[in-house]
Amino acid sequence: MNNLKVAGLLSLAIILGITGLLIFGQEKEVDFSTQIKPILNKNCISCHGGVKKNGGFSVLFEEEAFAKTESGHPAIIPGDPNGSELIKRLTASDPEVRMPYERTPLSEDEIDLLKTWIKQGAKWGKHWAYDPVQTPEIAEQRTTAGFTSDNNPSAINSIDFYIGKKLEENGLAFSKEEKPLRLLRRAALDITGLPPSKELLTQYSSQRISYEQAVDQLLSSPTYGEKWATWWLDLARYADTKGYERDVSRTMWPYRDYVIRALNADKPFDDFTIEQLAGDLLPNPTEEQLAATAFHRNTMNNDEGGTNDEEFRVAAVLDRVSTTFEVWQSTTMACVQCHSHPYDPIRHEEFYQSAAFFNNSRDEDTHDEEPRLRFYSPEEKKEIESVLAWVKTNESAKAVAERKNFLTYLEPKYPSHNAVDFTNAELIDTKWLGIQANGSAYLRKVDTRSSDQLLINYGSGLNGSEMTIRNGGPEGEILAAFSINKTDGDIIRAIPFKPTNGLIDLYLEVKNPTVRSEQNAAKFVWFAFVPTLAGKDKPGFRNIQNSWETILDFKGTKLPIMIENPDYMAREMHVFERGNWMMLGDKVNPETPKVLNDWNPEWPKNRLGFAYWLTDKENPLTSRTLVNRVWDQLFGRGIVSSLEDMGTQSDPPSHPALLDYLAWKTMNEYDWSIKSLIREIVTSDTYKQSSAVSAELFKKDPQNKWYARGPRFRLNAEQIRDQALAVSGLLSDKMYGPGVKPHQPEGIWQTVYNGQSWKESEGEDAHRRGIYTFLKRTSPYPSFITFDAASREVCLSRRIVTNTPLQALVTLNDPVYLEAAYYLAEDMIKQDASKPTKGIAYGYQKLVLNPISDTKLEALSNLYNEALIEYKDKPDSLRTFFSIQDKSTNPEQAAMSVVANALLNMDEFLTKP
Amino acid sequence: MQNLDKMLAEFAQQKLEKQTRRHFLMDCVAKVGGLAMAPLMFGCGTGSSELNLSQRDLNPLSPLPPPYGAKAKSIIYLHMAGAPSQLELFDFKPELAKYHNQPCPQSLLEGKKFAFIRGVPKMLGPQANFSQHGESGAWISDYMPHFQKLADEVSFLKAVHTDQFNHGPAQLLMQTGSARLGRPSLGSWVTYGLGTENQNLPGFVVLTSGGKTPDAGKSVWGSGFLPSVYQGVQCRSKGDPVLYLDDPEGMSRNLKKNVIDAINTVNKEEFNAYGDPEILARINQYEMAYRMQIEVPEVMNITDEPESIHQLYGTKPGAESLANNCLLARKLVEKGVRFVQLYDWGWDTHGTDHDGSIDMGLRNKCREMDRPVSALLLDLKQRGLLEDTLVVWGGEFGRTPMQENREGKTQSFLGRDHHGDAFTMWMAGGGIKPGVTYGRTDDFGFSGIEDKVSVHDIHATILHLMGFDHEQFTYEFQGRPFRLTDVEGELINKILA
Repeated sequence: MNNLKVAGLLSLAIILGITGLLIFGQEKEVDFSTQIKPILNKNCISCHGGVKKNGGFSVLFEEEAFAKTESGHPAIIPGDPNGSELIKRLTASDPEVRMPYERTPLSEDEIDLLKTWIKQGAKWGKHWAYDPVQTPEIAEQRTTAGFTSDNNPSAINSIDFYIGKKLEENGLAFSKEEKPLRLLRRAALDITGLPPSKELLTQYSSQRISYEQAVDQLLSSPTYGEKWATWWLDLARYADTKGYERDVSRTMWPYRDYVIRALNADKPFDDFTIEQLAGDLLPNPTEEQLAATAFHRNTMNNDEGGTNDEEFRVAAVLDRVSTTFEVWQSTTMACVQCHSHPYDPIRHEEFYQSAAFFNNSRDEDTHDEEPRLRFYSPEEKKEIESVLAWVKTNESAKAVAERKNFLTYLEPKYPSHNAVDFTNAELIDTKWLGIQANGSAYLRKVDTRSSDQLLINYGSGLNGSEMTIRNGGPEGEILAAFSINKTDGDIIRAIPFKPTNGLIDLYLEVKNPTVRSEQNAAKFVWFAFVPTLAGKDKPGFRNIQNSWETILDFKGTKLPIMIENPDYMAREMHVFERGNWMMLGDKVNPETPKVLNDWNPEWPKNRLGFAYWLTDKENPLTSRTLVNRVWDQLFGRGIVSSLEDMGTQSDPPSHPALLDYLAWKTMNEYDWSIKSLIREIVTSDTYKQSSAVSAELFKKDPQNKWYARGPRFRLNAEQIRDQALAVSGLLSDKMYGPGVKPHQPEGIWQTVYNGQSWKESEGEDAHRRGIYTFLKRTSPYPSFITFDAASREVCLSRRIVTNTPLQALVTLNDPVYLEAAYYLAEDMIKQDASKPTKGIAYGYQKLVLNPISDTKLEALSNLYNEALIEYKDKPDSLRTFFSIQDKSTNPEQAAMSVVANALLNMDEFLTKP
Repeated sequence: MQNLDKMLAEFAQQKLEKQTRRHFLMDCVAKVGGLAMAPLMFGCGTGSSELNLSQRDLNPLSPLPPPYGAKAKSIIYLHMAGAPSQLELFDFKPELAKYHNQPCPQSLLEGKKFAFIRGVPKMLGPQANFSQHGESGAWISDYMPHFQKLADEVSFLKAVHTDQFNHGPAQLLMQTGSARLGRPSLGSWVTYGLGTENQNLPGFVVLTSGGKTPDAGKSVWGSGFLPSVYQGVQCRSKGDPVLYLDDPEGMSRNLKKNVIDAINTVNKEEFNAYGDPEILARINQYEMAYRMQIEVPEVMNITDEPESIHQLYGTKPGAESLANNCLLARKLVEKGVRFVQLYDWGWDTHGTDHDGSIDMGLRNKCREMDRPVSALLLDLKQRGLLEDTLVVWGGEFGRTPMQENREGKTQSFLGRDHHGDAFTMWMAGGGIKPGVTYGRTDDFGFSGIEDKVSVHDIHATILHLMGFDHEQFTYEFQGRPFRLTDVEGELINKILA
């Protein structure tokens, strides 16, 4: 740029500046959030805020910024920029004094902005993301000659209004509408994860139904829940194994099924939230509401020998806090675990105040993952009813509730890993209490609830041991005495127990004269204090007692869930110094971060209250987060592109008004219906645009941030496999149940200290949707990982889409895609066996719902002919063709399979159109 | 209303422009289309330059120059999973021998936590014989007779420490800089930062031996929050070396070439119509996949190596052994692979059985490792590769000078528990000063007393040798920049050449 030009620009700037002054009469008010905070964050906060407060000055919190610094004076004096140390330091000529220290000085514009801000009174402001969502000035619905179709006048929906405004500001314009069938394929893939069904396709292409009606059909299909569950399960870190070293299997699938059902039922997002975070605390929770709480039992569980259960219980609690804030608040709490958030106004102790809500659940990283919800059969449920009816007649309503809870999830109980002060006893593999002959241990501070019965879960390989439980110590009163003999695995056994009040220490002692030492007489898993059933002398008691024992011994499906501690088991929460769980600081009570919405005193101070707080309409982040993530699912990019973070360090929203409009509408008009939100988006003209992009448009907006074209991006891992199975007719529509294990190469599972193996599923289970594929955290289904699926160890807001040669190898060579190619080819040949080109054209159109062009047909026909010649030439290669054993193959079928293999690898097939 | 009119006008204008633009692109891509199987060239004022694409947009593994001068081009990292005993290999402690079978002094136990040791264990003297070697006079035990001869080639770190004493978290810390899951591995950082030289092979290759993957699972070569293209690719000795690498039954190489040609012709036309540069990237990936199918089996096949090489390494084609993996590591870096990570499982010598005993099992295990690892260094050197290749050796922690007494009981074999306070690692090759012994432990080898280095220091040093400043090498995630070394890590200057 030559000097003349610079001078010209400068004078232009001056003229504009003066005009600005003339027009507005005075300088415009500086906005803290958008103008000042970014300067402070970029230049100051790394030394003055959060971790460091050099010179006693911090710009993290308002009161810190205006407080006296080490010099004795505040650094910012509202109204007096030149008297403010902040400005003096930014403009000083001495390099020892000038800030930022040893770094490039601020620009004059930045300093001027800061000066103006101070002059105007240095008003501190909240970041936009922490202000509640306001009622938007809703865009007028107006009718005009549609700009996306030439003939039909159409109403402009509000999304298009907001998008259109920004397009105009950026010198861009909407693209034309996508071709109808490609658009239908886009919507079907987005809503159900699958191509449209034959019926829908017929109805739509014959114009019997409108696009909107097609969208409604898609939204009401059960495949909708299966598609959107993938999104939610990434956030919920759902997997079928425990994670960490041994990574053994766990039963979590009922939670996955809960998510699919809830999405299909369009459960309002606030209820969906409350059930998952605190379903157990709702009055008389249903089985479904209890199952929902497994959301926070997706945390990993460490079985590695030598690990401390308490350490990993705490790790799970902290993960729950971080995950909750990431999932519902787009806020990263991991930093605040160790120190005040350097950028966001959330304080170190506030992390632990939030953690206090989550620190009182019964789960303790035990090997059995208790508490677990027991899914009883209808017959068993009837039996339970009869037991409860008996208790109601013979005892109190409270007793009914307690007994019902115990049968539902076996709580409260004391895990044996709480035992201490061992003599000839140990924690076996740091998991279970083992007592040797002539050994003892203590279970301290136990509330036996004045129970006349102790239930113990234990196992023994020895006969002839005598166990005594005493109050307080070896000389204490005997509370229970009984023999222990060999058991068939671990059993639950009822022992008469002397009723005792209050918190006591139990002294557990085992004697066995015949056994050499160093061998455990028994392994204990847990202890529970549950009174015997009343009404022993009444007729029918024996039956009830039998029912009780049978039910207790339940062997069916059990799902880890959240259950709150009773008062007498409550834990205190302390701040962890520098994030270390061993270094306890001050005690904290459950509180929510001050910068967010206020707490309503009517809410209970537990997880349930916390869930109410999150879903309160005043909470600024929950609805924005939801809208942002749903938008991202459809457009491949969030309105705030950093999905995991909406704080002050996040990217600014591309369309703030749109974000707030959708957030407001979702809460207030849609009553938190996700389906309604999706419907509004996918019926907008913005969504319906063609995804074609010119080089010029691409240069202006490579990321499609302004939406001058439709979304076009590669399908996700599950969709790619589901789609291939669907178009080849192999896909099973079976829903729900335990994870399935489709074919994968041998030798993928090689976990240490874990004898489990991948046993291939048979029949239709080999071709279920990806959402049902068994997910082992340390060895996920390999082709999914290649296509960027998550291993689900921690919460994931966004899968990064990559494009690699290993992906090509999967869709070219993975047996499941070869099988799909084979069956797709069968269908193609059927069209007209005498005319392969017809079959090829049919296959292409079937896959992408668009007629094939001459060039493409020619390329694929050539491939067919080359393959045909080769197979006719070498009939040997047909015997084991594509390893499809039970099928005889002729050269035509083989050649067409090769073409189908190519079709399944087309970019346009792997990509949302 | 005014806005809309304007939009309409602009849309019409844009449509016009698009048509001309598309015409231009079509011409361009048609030119590219002629070069079916050759690597795509985007120089001709074609799609990519018109679209302002970088090489990285088309190929995320394309090589990038290191930001600072690099001392090494590639890394071979030998991780002995389970944690070998430094007290039988490199850290000679004659004093410890004197305390053999004596109860452990309380001072060592206070405030310490161990995975399995309970109460007061007995001390366990060194079970190997030590001697000094080379001009550097480094102590190396008779468990590693071949390696003794290479004393002057490597730089020992005798006082490495970690704060993790369980395998899973410790391996994660060693490989990802964090004991919790979710961070990118060292190899991912390096391939993210530098890409790789050979586009027909993965940039970050993982080879495992010992029959098991490491305790922490595949996360130790995971890409964490980095794009998954930077995760390690496990190359296997059995079955396809890379998953789904083999063509299906009945598909000849020639036919596969035709398949990829057909796919790419279709994709090129799709690009002409839709203009999405991702399509160009996909075309590129399919051609790379085809070349990878040829080159990976070639490089993974060791049968063609001369007998002398098999002798040197002790390799047996077809075996899943550390020896084979060491030879493969050399072949891979020779071919321009950026990061080769070896895991050998079976070093967790607790003394619970014969294989896990310090005096017998460990000796055998060392025998399996000594020859191939020594051979690797020699072979790299004789090929002139060592100066550009950084070789790192170590476990995830060390082992106690005390004898393990699991659950307070005496064991039938001699074993050592996990110990993170002090253990030995070594580095050699690119940028490392050979023949240095850095760091010193106390008389029991329990704690470092001089020149201690942390896991983060090791990462900082490795990144430095690869041409990065570990404090500036960051990735933006969750609203803040992340580093491999988090807020720690100092260069170990004394071992740098």
